[in-house]
Amino acid sequence: MDITTESKLKPTTPIPAQAGIGLRAEHYKEVITTRPNIGWLEVHSENYFGQGGKPLYYLELARQNYPVSLHGVGLSIGSSDPLNKTHLDHLNRLIQRIEPGLVSEHLSWSSIDGKYFNDLLPLPYTEEALKHFSDRVHQVQNILQRQILIENPSSYLSYSHSTIAEWDFMNAIVERTDCGILLDVNNVYVSAINHGFDAHHYLQAIDADAVQEIHLAGFTTDTIEGQDILIDTHNKPISDEVWALYKAAIKRLGALPSLIEWDSDLPPLEFLLEEASRAQTIMDERHALVA
Amino acid sequence: MPSLHELQSAFADALLNPDTTRTLSYVAQDKISRDQRLFIYRNHVFSSLTSALQEAYPTIERLVGEAFFRSAARAYIRQHPSTSGDLEQYGDRFADYLDSLKQVDEHAYLPDVARLEWAYHRVYFAADAPALSTESLAKVDPSQQHRLCFGLHPASQLLQSPYPSLRIWQVNQKAYCGDQTVDLSTGGNYLLVLRPQLDPEIHHINHDEYIFLHALSCDKNIADSHDLATNINPEFDLTSCLQKFISNKTLVTFSLEA
Repeated sequence: MDITTESKLKPTTPIPAQAGIGLRAEHYKEVITTRPNIGWLEVHSENYFGQGGKPLYYLELARQNYPVSLHGVGLSIGSSDPLNKTHLDHLNRLIQRIEPGLVSEHLSWSSIDGKYFNDLLPLPYTEEALKHFSDRVHQVQNILQRQILIENPSSYLSYSHSTIAEWDFMNAIVERTDCGILLDVNNVYVSAINHGFDAHHYLQAIDADAVQEIHLAGFTTDTIEGQDILIDTHNKPISDEVWALYKAAIKRLGALPSLIEWDSDLPPLEFLLEEASRAQTIMDERHALVA
Repeated sequence: MPSLHELQSAFADALLNPDTTRTLSYVAQDKISRDQRLFIYRNHVFSSLTSALQEAYPTIERLVGEAFFRSAARAYIRQHPSTSGDLEQYGDRFADYLDSLKQVDEHAYLPDVARLEWAYHRVYFAADAPALSTESLAKVDPSQQHRLCFGLHPASQLLQSPYPSLRIWQVNQKAYCGDQTVDLSTGGNYLLVLRPQLDPEIHHINHDEYIFLHALSCDKNIADSHDLATNINPEFDLTSCLQKFISNKTLVTFSLEA
């Protein structure tokens, strides 16, 4: 097996309106040898910022059989620091190499004054932050020469000077930048519980034409000062409440690329595929209803 | 109302320093206090950066134990916050940090074991490279051969230590089940960490080989590199050394010095 032979990349392949799973290192070999029946794969962009070795080797092999979406966690679009050009260069290099169907990032910030926290920190929803975030999405899209999707985050605090609801903030970014939305239904649920808003209202209010991808994941419930707070841990099965919300989202939005996200305490691949097949069934039933 | 930059600076300060006097009065609080809400983020930041260090330095964690490792990681994160959105870059100064700790004086080999782990980590993600073309090399005019310069594989690192750092590393691998004793009096080692294909390998090399490869990696030509190696070992065999490091993919490019 010679890793230096040129890999046979397919040209950019769109992500189908089907269920997909996150590809993680623990499942590389199984996904490549068993070629599970799944519409597409998503990876964290930063895990492939190295210039060679195993991660890219396996991603390129997987890419020969599946459309791939690149999901970023470290671009820190919401930071008031200048955009990190090195990070963008690495992302651009990866995009050229993998030719992903979708590229996404988060409505959040993760660095300031050159220090990184490698976490999705919440933004205040103010006019200043909206202008700043939109300008930066615009810059990123110009540099990458493509549209990106912005994902709604889970959050555990809010700011008393926020003046805009998160769904309106997301819609306004779309209006100003022509970016797309990655609607994380689990994050909608987690934030709705944590901040006391109506998750169904969020789904109704979000710009339906802009949503191009959905994320589904599991959360953990912590108790702090006698109060429950939901934490977006990506280490559990999707909850019944989130499945119900997903059903409502698909009813309104139609079938969309829907990802089962699982990042720690990974279950066997088979379990992820079962979760994906549950999402696929919900989309198929909706389609049957309309047809 | 704080500007976005003021808010982010104060938030960052509160994340890294729990005793900070700056209160984030604009974080909304209800039945859960703002300190508790911030704590969720602080906890997450420290746990993901600690995991990144654990992934890069599993042998150090085994040597010092999880509790000491976690407390060293906490202090390191405060002193050397992450500077990249790519977590795999995090931890490049951990060996120097361990070097600065008085508690590790009795285990003075720890920083060099950490340097070996960081070299392994870097090599794991470094660029691939094809083997050097010996056919093209053979075509170099013999009268010009003294001007040859060689490039090392991008996935290679050279290390030296006054301690048997590789032996310490080896007996602390999960899969290792032989004799655990390490005799520190056996002295130091010169090492080459190399990834010819997908898996990094760690090789013991001789002092003269180390000097030779190190000189080549600093863009010295073959004649000057040869001289430096001969200073260490008058018997240094240039031809067999070149053959060895070309065939194992340490040397992957060549050029003629202008």
